[in-house]
Amino acid sequence: MTATLAPARPGADAGRTAFAALAACELRRFVVNPVFLLAVVMTADALWFNRSGSVTEIDTANPFPAVFLGGFGMMATFWLTRSMRASEPVTGVTPVTRPTRTAALCAVAIVPFGCGGLALLAFLHFHPVGDPVYGAFSPPARIAVLAGQILVPSLGGPLLGVALGRWVRFPGAAFVLFLILYGWVSLVTILSMSHPGSAPVAVLRLFAPFAFFTYTANTADVTAWRGSPWFFLGWQLALCAIAVLVALLRGAEGQVRARIIRALAIAGVAALILLVLAGTGGFTHAVTA
Amino acid sequence: MAGPVLRAGAWPAVAGLSGVAVVVGGCGAAFPAAATVLFPICFALLAAAAAFTLDEPASQVVDVTPTGTVRRTTIRAMALLAPLATGTLVLLAAALRGLALPWAAASLALAGNVLLGFAAACVARTRTGEPGAAAGTAIVLVLLAPSLVPQVARWVRTFPAPGAGGPSSNPVWWAVLAGCVAAIAISVGGRRPRHRPASAARQRWT
Repeated sequence: MTATLAPARPGADAGRTAFAALAACELRRFVVNPVFLLAVVMTADALWFNRSGSVTEIDTANPFPAVFLGGFGMMATFWLTRSMRASEPVTGVTPVTRPTRTAALCAVAIVPFGCGGLALLAFLHFHPVGDPVYGAFSPPARIAVLAGQILVPSLGGPLLGVALGRWVRFPGAAFVLFLILYGWVSLVTILSMSHPGSAPVAVLRLFAPFAFFTYTANTADVTAWRGSPWFFLGWQLALCAIAVLVALLRGAEGQVRARIIRALAIAGVAALILLVLAGTGGFTHAVTA
Repeated sequence: MAGPVLRAGAWPAVAGLSGVAVVVGGCGAAFPAAATVLFPICFALLAAAAAFTLDEPASQVVDVTPTGTVRRTTIRAMALLAPLATGTLVLLAAALRGLALPWAAASLALAGNVLLGFAAACVARTRTGEPGAAAGTAIVLVLLAPSLVPQVARWVRTFPAPGAGGPSSNPVWWAVLAGCVAAIAISVGGRRPRHRPASAARQRWT
């Protein structure tokens, strides 16, 4: 049996080199963005502030990394993407295609994602998985809840910012979307408090890039809401994929465009299925432990 | 004069943000339990709408016309009626739904939010022709700080909560109103054209 090594195509190598160079350049721009730096400081401060025993359930401390690394990260990448708009006539004639430049912009999401990972580790350090603040969830489900509330929003927010920056002209779009998402999550959470056993309300609560899973009323007991944290994690990852594909679609032509649209349809269907499974899976009613 | 100055305003942004604010505020009126969360978001959107009222894409031309800064800003300030009317509409809807809010304090918060957005735009307008996006984002972040940062929430409240303990929002908004009036007066009075006409520059050296 013989094995042959095919020589790498010079075009592919050049494309990879250009992408790496662009990604490194965008990373350098992103890490000095004042909004992102503010987000990192605020996340660290919020985690430190909520380290004490005053936390009765995880959801009093968990939204902060999502708001700061995800929400503020979205605003930072939106501006990063929009900042290239003025130089589009010049960059548009370079040999690098727009989808490649968009992919380089998407690559910066690795930084807030890494910060989210650190935040997750810090949260686990202050609130170990065995703590009663997690409610009735099993230990693996507790990790899924944390990943869905801390890690994935840190990745999805910046990716959404890139997609928004590529498609929307309005310069205030990022903060408007941030306010709308913040309002929506608050509204459906408050609805869940009054209808904890309702399946449609559970689906509405999970129809968001971030969702709460526990609740404490005036008692010391933690109520775990219905819904599957694992499928919710899948729904969030599908949303991340949709954000990347929507961003890449701008400026894509020919075969690439057709492929992106096909992938977008698959990701959309997968997201829908995962949302339904997230709403109907897990606990079938609110469980207080 | 007022017509052309008003026509050149960023009306799509002002109207769009006010429209989103109506939807958010409408949800607050429809779901009274969520009103204290959604009304501050609605007011923050109205503050952002106010921040777009001074956007002037043709600022390099407009800033050197004989029409003074005070006059132009006064005319553009009429556009604040849009976010103010929107906020009033939302509060009226809430009142009709029977929400028990401290109405005087809520109205003061509305006026304070809108004036804060306008004052931020006035200050930023001394540096750029289109201050809306930057001023709006900054104002939204500042207005949401009590919701996002627990340490700030202990000391500052930007929306009056019915029957709850903690600090009142009124002192904050009276102080903000005074500060905004001063900031607007200083920025409008001190604003000079940033772009000297080429002919004027030539005359200086010949």
